[in-house]
Amino acid sequence: MALVELRGVSKSFRKGDEIITPLDDVDLDIDSGEFVSLMGPSGTGKSTLLNLVSGIDRPDSGTITVDGTEVTKLSRSKLADWRAANLGYIFQTHNLIPVLTAYENVELPTLLLKLSAIQRRQRVELALAAVGLNDRANHYPRQLSGGQEQRVGIARAIVAHPKVVVADEPTGSLDTETSEQVQVLLQRLNQELNITMLMVTHDSHVASIASRQLVLDRGKFLEAIGS
Amino acid sequence: MTAYVLKTLWRHRTRTLLTVTGAAVAMFVFCFVGSVQEGLDRLTTGVDADRSLIVFQENRFCPTTSRLPEDYARVIEAIDGVRDVMPIQVWTNNCRASLDIVVFNGADPQQIQKTRPITLTSGNWQQFASQRDAAIVGRNVAQRRGLKKGDQFSIGELSVNVAGIFESTVPSEENLIYTSLAFLQYTRGLDAVGLVTQHEVLLAEDANPDRVASEIDAKLRASSVATKTRRKGVFQASTLSDLVDLIGFAHWLGYACVGLVLSLVATTTIMSVQDRLQEYAVLQTIGVRPMRAMRLVLAESTILCLVGGVGGTLLALTALGLGGFAIGAEGATIAFRPSLGLAIAGTIVSLVVGVAAGFVPAIQAATVPIVKALREP
Repeated sequence: MALVELRGVSKSFRKGDEIITPLDDVDLDIDSGEFVSLMGPSGTGKSTLLNLVSGIDRPDSGTITVDGTEVTKLSRSKLADWRAANLGYIFQTHNLIPVLTAYENVELPTLLLKLSAIQRRQRVELALAAVGLNDRANHYPRQLSGGQEQRVGIARAIVAHPKVVVADEPTGSLDTETSEQVQVLLQRLNQELNITMLMVTHDSHVASIASRQLVLDRGKFLEAIGS
Repeated sequence: MTAYVLKTLWRHRTRTLLTVTGAAVAMFVFCFVGSVQEGLDRLTTGVDADRSLIVFQENRFCPTTSRLPEDYARVIEAIDGVRDVMPIQVWTNNCRASLDIVVFNGADPQQIQKTRPITLTSGNWQQFASQRDAAIVGRNVAQRRGLKKGDQFSIGELSVNVAGIFESTVPSEENLIYTSLAFLQYTRGLDAVGLVTQHEVLLAEDANPDRVASEIDAKLRASSVATKTRRKGVFQASTLSDLVDLIGFAHWLGYACVGLVLSLVATTTIMSVQDRLQEYAVLQTIGVRPMRAMRLVLAESTILCLVGGVGGTLLALTALGLGGFAIGAEGATIAFRPSLGLAIAGTIVSLVVGVAAGFVPAIQAATVPIVKALREP
């Protein structure tokens, strides 16, 4: 059984008088430990799919099951609990909390779990070590470079040991060199920590680091390249 | 998450400081108005106000116009239900409403010691009783005028030697200066030998105040000067009736202060939340429950309100304690004193207003459309 299962998922939006259907009866299976990249032109529903898997948006129809939990059936509060324990989210624009240090930003998701202070500290230190930022733990986001901010964002996404990490254009706001570093980091986290990843990107080079690359167009997966 | 709330407030410290200061000023005024209200309540209720009567000249208001024979005391003493009668000569520097009213009460020193709820904090009764121009000064007057034992205090035609400072369980007493009756009667300009301003009648435990009052007035109706006898609380409320109306109006000022704090903190919190809708969307994306997001906002508004409100309350209580403020008219005074009740009211109002001010922005933060907020630039 796949870790992430989408069955008959559809999602439409109204834009003025027009109804746009970025996802139309989509099926998708992602196995545990798999690294899936999702490509496609703008407006084809890549981010929508990511948001549906994350439970921050709801499909019009269909079901989404992650590790046996049908997330489409959960209430907003239960979804928050589920995300805290099972999902890591890497944003394109980092979205760190500006008033908190790198350490405190990474610590945030652990505060939502039943962990002792020692366990929390260990996890945060491990996550910061995994992204190579232990020496920047006490820095505020404004004191970090874009690449460092994104690495803190990645540490925040993995600190709670989630079952799935989703990344929405994780290199979209970075320069080429920093983007390369982040790609290597994501690949390493997938391979060394066996984290299941679903990444949205419009860059085929970035997509190539994934073990499976999907292209989404007009509400359907048109092709699957590699495996 | 406490660090998040505190750091958020600290990050916008100018806004936080302005809001806290505004809340403090409003709660300062709220407590001042509250203390005036409390002072009036104390004056018109309580044992002292209910179990003693004031015999005043009929149809007279200002103490300078009431002139009763001193020997009415003997007639009044004979009435059933009367425990003691204290003839009092009153002198005041101002018959109109004033914030710095000075009221002298001249009476028999032994009767003062026996009947008034006062305790000397400095000086001694013996000097007060034996020295003709000796006076004991209420704590509030002493604070306002900077008086201490041994000082000479002069006002108008009066000049007294401060034989002691007293405090009282009845705060309005602390606005009085007591001298001997003879001293005030012989003061130049008063021309009051054998006369007094009023008689204070202390009632026996089982006496009915209204019956005794009627009996006194009836008995003295045929005498040279007709009297009007009322419970002390009623007499004081009637004397201060103009001020009572003003205090009733000021009471609305207190409510306005609460409204001011509410709108100030609510505005700050709404601005703060609207600036950070994306942050709340991020928090909920990483697993913060909507209710928890709500609590974070409520914590922010409550901290702002509590720090400002409790600060303003403490400042007001300190000012009230040190200032010895009072307002008076026609020889009766209302003391503004700090009290535990004011401290508790100030804290509770700050807490409730803090929660109320944060309610709408808290709902905004809890129900933020996550996807839409994350897409905002």
